[in-house]
Amino acid sequence: MKERIGVYICHCGGNISDYVDVEELSKMFYKEDNIVVSKNVMFVCADSSQKAMIADIQEYKLDAIVVCSCSPKLHLHTFRNVAACAGLNPFNYVQVNIREQCSWPHSDHPHEATVKAAGLIRAGINRVSHSESLENIEIEVKKSALIIGAGVAGMKAAIELARSGNEVFLVEKDYFVGGHIAQKGQLFMSDQEGKDVITSLYHEIKKYPNITLFTGSTIEKVSGSLGSFHIELKVKPRYINPRVDKQTVKSVMDECPIEIDDPFNLGLVKRKVIYKNYPEALPDLPVVDAEALKVFPDFVAKYKSVLNLTEEEQIISLMAGSVLVTTGYDDYLPKEGEFGYKTLENVITLPELNRLMELNPNKLVYGGKEIKSIAFIYCVGSRQSKGENRFCSRQCCTSAIYTSLQLKKKYKDIQAYHIYRDIRTYGKQEVLYEQSSKQGDLYFKYEEKEMPVIEREGKSLIVKIKDYLTARKQLEIETDMVVLVTGMMPRKDALQISELFKIPVGSDRFFNEIHPKLKPVETVIKGVYIAGACQGPKNITESVQSSLAATSKIIALLKKGSFSADPIIARIDMDACSWCDKCAEVCDYSALKMIEMNGKMVAGVNKAMCAGCGICAPVCPENAIEIAQYTDKEIEAMIDGFLAKLEINEKEGGSDSTPKESAIRMEEYPQVWKEILAVMKDGKYTIPQIAENSKLNSELVTYHLMTMNKYGIVVPDGMDDKEMYYYYKENEDSH
Amino acid sequence: MSKVNPKFAIELSKYGSNDFHACFNCGNCTATCSLSNAEDSFPRELIRYATLGLENELKASLKPWECYYCGDCSIQCPRQAEPGELMMSLRRWLTSKYDWTGLSGVFYRSLSVTILAFVLIFAAVLILADSFAWNLQNMMHVGHLFEMTVIFMVLLVIFIPNLLRMWYFTILKPNVKAHPKIYFIALSDLFVHMFTQKRMKDCETKDNFRWLEHFILVIAYLSLLFTTVFLNWFNTESLFVVILGYVESFFIFIITIDFVSSRINKNKALNKFSQLSDWLFVIWLMIMGLTAFFVRLFIDTGIIENNKWVYIIHFTILAQWALIIVPFGKWTHFLYRSFAMYFSKIKSLAIAQ
Repeated sequence: MKERIGVYICHCGGNISDYVDVEELSKMFYKEDNIVVSKNVMFVCADSSQKAMIADIQEYKLDAIVVCSCSPKLHLHTFRNVAACAGLNPFNYVQVNIREQCSWPHSDHPHEATVKAAGLIRAGINRVSHSESLENIEIEVKKSALIIGAGVAGMKAAIELARSGNEVFLVEKDYFVGGHIAQKGQLFMSDQEGKDVITSLYHEIKKYPNITLFTGSTIEKVSGSLGSFHIELKVKPRYINPRVDKQTVKSVMDECPIEIDDPFNLGLVKRKVIYKNYPEALPDLPVVDAEALKVFPDFVAKYKSVLNLTEEEQIISLMAGSVLVTTGYDDYLPKEGEFGYKTLENVITLPELNRLMELNPNKLVYGGKEIKSIAFIYCVGSRQSKGENRFCSRQCCTSAIYTSLQLKKKYKDIQAYHIYRDIRTYGKQEVLYEQSSKQGDLYFKYEEKEMPVIEREGKSLIVKIKDYLTARKQLEIETDMVVLVTGMMPRKDALQISELFKIPVGSDRFFNEIHPKLKPVETVIKGVYIAGACQGPKNITESVQSSLAATSKIIALLKKGSFSADPIIARIDMDACSWCDKCAEVCDYSALKMIEMNGKMVAGVNKAMCAGCGICAPVCPENAIEIAQYTDKEIEAMIDGFLAKLEINEKEGGSDSTPKESAIRMEEYPQVWKEILAVMKDGKYTIPQIAENSKLNSELVTYHLMTMNKYGIVVPDGMDDKEMYYYYKENEDSH
Repeated sequence: MSKVNPKFAIELSKYGSNDFHACFNCGNCTATCSLSNAEDSFPRELIRYATLGLENELKASLKPWECYYCGDCSIQCPRQAEPGELMMSLRRWLTSKYDWTGLSGVFYRSLSVTILAFVLIFAAVLILADSFAWNLQNMMHVGHLFEMTVIFMVLLVIFIPNLLRMWYFTILKPNVKAHPKIYFIALSDLFVHMFTQKRMKDCETKDNFRWLEHFILVIAYLSLLFTTVFLNWFNTESLFVVILGYVESFFIFIITIDFVSSRINKNKALNKFSQLSDWLFVIWLMIMGLTAFFVRLFIDTGIIENNKWVYIIHFTILAQWALIIVPFGKWTHFLYRSFAMYFSKIKSLAIAQ
């Protein structure tokens, strides 16, 4: 129990004191036994008031303070600092909000506002008298980061993290780096080749000895939390003897007789069983598809010095201070029969066309026939008002239009038809739309309720549409090929990552950030960040932007080496707890785990992970959990305090008769008043003039000048010539 | 169901400038055009048809003939797609589609064929003059006979079949059911529009002076035609007819000189992109008026016998005019514009029924 409490009640320059009788309240609480100081102050947040509080705490040896003013959102940290400066534990302070909760909402009923304020202050006093001294929790942070996914976002983040001296573990599921970018040809706006971008990033990565790249690797197990995540990796072997020189490996690769489907080329061609995704793929070491090669023992026997099919998977343990997830996306795969996909020849997706263009440098040939015209159908698998993908994939419009420009550049005589729902080539990409229009591409608009229909007629395809640009006329487009402009989907295996790290996913099934605008790369799991297309559709520019944002957050975290967390977290009463699992079940942050304590199984709180949300406390059947600063004792005392009977003397004449003689002393003036008075020296000014001279917002000046007028600090002095504004001057008597 | 044909753009470009790939379907042209209404999104709809190459829809439309090229749409177009000029190109293309001989299309598309035809006619005139041993009296007699024959033949062989084709494309094929009585009721519209360009008065941005010039030119041209053919201007003794002819031919070359100069100066929207057919039309009309004036002047001053070349030139111009420009060139807009008004009146009456 605290015995020497200080209570500070704020006028807020009239904001509170116009309706709540602060003077009466301060007198009333002064009479109480455990209250040593009870003051009403014009602006409790003013520098002078803060200094006075520090002096009070030290002079009267206060052991707790209650500040009754505005919302803790505004000034919680201000007064925690005041307490700390005076040598008081910052958690022996309670904020009571009598502005947003009393004077503002109850301005029509000043007496009731005062009664409510008295109740809240009493509750605050009761709470602070049970308050404990708490210390911030310091967590050590390992100077290492784990990045999941070596696409453009992950690789760029790895380089930047390594550059600032951190240990980086870059984990890639595929045997080769680059992700989707490596599959693309030229990329829009910069016209660079996708694989060139990846090659240059890879060479940059190789310059940093503090980056460890794991390819063919997956995350198997995750434990620990911010500062020290324990990760278990499974690294699949390449089944190639690394000691054999590259030339020999290449000759074996060339000789390999077996071919299977090539997922990198989206099934357009076959690949060998010993393969690289594309000739320049990195790391520059082929991979053996061991399963497929097992049925050819002769071949394996012949090259047993090169092939090592008995090589085994490795499990590797890592420690990382922070985690960045850049797992990217899956291309939407149309259902069989969706716009004739897989049921009609020459209906392919945009990623497939991009691969086809890479494989056909001179002449666009598909199914043995040269392609002279292409109809692009937009929004396939995106913006479904009834389907599961409601989002817009944002990069596909530009991607399709850019592809059409590439087609014309590469193969000259080719006609493109764009059948869209809306064109969204936002920002600088708009010029591509114009170029495409100028090169003779034709645009048609359909609505979701009247989807285009594709039929085969002889050797070509016919797209039947109701064109909204031609007064909804039924049109037929004869074309050699139909390309479905597919959007981005959350990765199929994203759920696994989400479960391992407890990253929440949205209704769109992409990873969720805390706040789309203000915390765009942070997740609710401390120390785990997301970037790139794993959190929603993005183009390369946007992916890299978010990845660098996350990188700078991680660098800041790792640089400090420690993390200071609020001590307001769950605490377990070890005697009462009998580990029933109920608390761990409801915890959104996986902060509760079973631990052994003196031979007994009890719940343990991970201090780094607990967010102090309090959801565990009410579900505990033994009442063994309490939240610091919100203990039962504190809460019960608050309720008792609020319900206690109070005697308040009502002031005569209501609130309007605030006496002029209660003029405030100069040192109590808030900074704004001082600035206003500084420009009002020796003369009379109108509000616009004051605003202009003081560079303050005129609304702010109006508000404060009115308050100053009320307290007799300034007085009106006639009107200006146009009779629009009053002049004000400093009141000589106010000092 | 209409089939999209992107190659149509290439064909249409031979009939005049068009840049409808610049069009992004904003509809500003329609918003500014006084011809558009709730049913017809003119000219956007026609631009779209042209872009997609929907030839049947274009052939069925009378709208290009209703446009008098005030140029508002081209001014308002944010992409400089020149919708007004596209209507001009469409009129040329439609003329060639109506023409059963296909010669209109050949002359519109090919400069060399046009020059060749003009040269051939000049040669024929010289041969003819030579066969008459350069006897002016005989030549003038033949010239007069030629004029009467050609008027009759062009009407019978070219214009009537072409107008029937126009009727087929715009009324019959689109299945407009019109009672014969309607054809009679609407007839007044045909003549009013034929002689007055009344439709132009409905345009929001109108050039009254130009309208008056055009009106006087039409009247002067038709009456000079009447004066030379039926009153035999070059061979009359009537002072009234002589003076009438002078006045008519004077008006023709004065107004056409203004038209030619504004095409050179490009001072109006409709003069911005002059094609070969536009130049030939105004210049030949101007020279025809001028030479006719001088032929009669030389007769009246008695110096014609020593200056037979004046008549040779006049006759050449006349023959080129009557054999090429009238049946296959820009002259036909006189008919198609007025018949378009007539057919659209029939259409609207038929729908009202």
